Amino acid sequence: MSIELVCPAGTPAALRAGVEAGAHAVYCGFRDETNARNFPGLNFSAQELREGVRFAHGHGARVLVAINTFARAGAFEPWAQALQNAEEAKADAVILADIAVLDYCATKHPNLRIHLSVQAAAATPEAIGFYADAFGVKRVVLPRVLSVEEIAALNKAIGIETEVFVFGGLCPMAEGRCALSSYATGRSPNMAGVCSPPEAVAYTEDRRGTAATLGGFTINRFQPSEQAGYPTLCKGRFVAGGKTSYLFEDPTSLNAAGLIASLKAAGVTALKIEGRQRGKGYVAEVVRMFRRVVDAVEAGKPPLEAERALQALVEGGRQTSGAYKKSWR
Amino acid sequence: MAESFKGELPYLMRLLALPSGVLPLGFFLTRSLRDLARRKPNLFERLGEHGQTPFFIDPTDLNYAFVIVPDGANTDVKMVGKKDTARGEVVVRGPLLSLLGLLDGTFDGDALFFSRGISVSGKVDALLALRNAIEDAELKPSDFIGAGGSIGSVTDRIVLNAVSFARRLAGTPSGSSHEY
Repeated sequence: MSIELVCPAGTPAALRAGVEAGAHAVYCGFRDETNARNFPGLNFSAQELREGVRFAHGHGARVLVAINTFARAGAFEPWAQALQNAEEAKADAVILADIAVLDYCATKHPNLRIHLSVQAAAATPEAIGFYADAFGVKRVVLPRVLSVEEIAALNKAIGIETEVFVFGGLCPMAEGRCALSSYATGRSPNMAGVCSPPEAVAYTEDRRGTAATLGGFTINRFQPSEQAGYPTLCKGRFVAGGKTSYLFEDPTSLNAAGLIASLKAAGVTALKIEGRQRGKGYVAEVVRMFRRVVDAVEAGKPPLEAERALQALVEGGRQTSGAYKKSWR
Repeated sequence: MAESFKGELPYLMRLLALPSGVLPLGFFLTRSLRDLARRKPNLFERLGEHGQTPFFIDPTDLNYAFVIVPDGANTDVKMVGKKDTARGEVVVRGPLLSLLGLLDGTFDGDALFFSRGISVSGKVDALLALRNAIEDAELKPSDFIGAGGSIGSVTDRIVLNAVSFARRLAGTPSGSSHEY
């Protein structure tokens, strides 16, 4: 079976664009706090999801619904409702992270296929085995911290499918557990769904360029001639030792198009493109390019030069193969 | 602050656009967007509370700007001076053809921002809501005049071809690899 290309859909229009561009599956979420991309104006109502699933199934594509925030104690109703809505919409799988939501789903919705969200940050055979045994998880989305060799070893040690990110933003922390972000914004990425909540972000323009602030902290300043990036703390520029630099991570995007053959050989089932916050033009272009690469790999041909082709769409205008090639070792 | 962006209208096209500054564009756009709200209520519902936010939209190659409050059937558009930024809680600046590309989904807003094809400041949550609502609406030129059927199709073809031609003349960067 062909390696599966899973693409983001922040809106019904993006879902249609992704499916028409050749995605084997799309992932999306509801317009509420159950979804780890809870941006204003983004996401699906229950009705939009039903229509989206119908459209995708009509084109031979699957729909995965991310219900991947951590439920609040004593206020579980939105997560229960989201699972109910996903099942009624005939979603092909739900992507979960919180143990309480996993347990509820496994108990009340035994026919829903469960994928483990990257937000669960499960990257060892023991952790993944626990989720598989306890909740019947069928696939794990791996954190973006493993090399291809580590993924190959992991796949030999576990009995479920793996999905890995191949394009888009990078998280260098334990996914969703960024204490820096929580400190600056007063909100947890796992609970709020984003590490830089839009209401905490501000851009200001002056003669020196564009300043990005998060929770009142200036975290970067871009000269007019410089490529800009997302206002996340991990990609902020700070002064340390008298030097201003990107202390944690450069504003750069993951692009593992050139590693798809290796990832397939490592036993990976699905390739995930990040970016539910991006527009349908982005989704269509990235999916189209990656589908060509996947088809080339499946046909035994060399992968295309996707890095150059996608250069202009990425944060900071720069790309990396991230942890897949741990060249610093 | 004076800024210049790649893809601004060439000098001759700016001269041709000068008379548009004396037209009652605010009135026409208000009418057009209110009609659009009646035909596509979902677009404005996606904005939620941000529908009452004033957006200062500054096409950098024209000699005027707009303040838009996208409040569904109460939408209001006013033509304002370039320095009236205080009237908006969100400020978006960029060449006219880039801004139009955001409107019809031709360009990706994040990519244009990364490449500095547009600049933004102010309430980022409201800006994202607007961007996402527009993205999902899949707007066409005919939506703004309420034309449907074959008249709508012809309108779309003519306008989109004209804009595409103008972009080639202006060298508009899209933030997309196709244009680099």
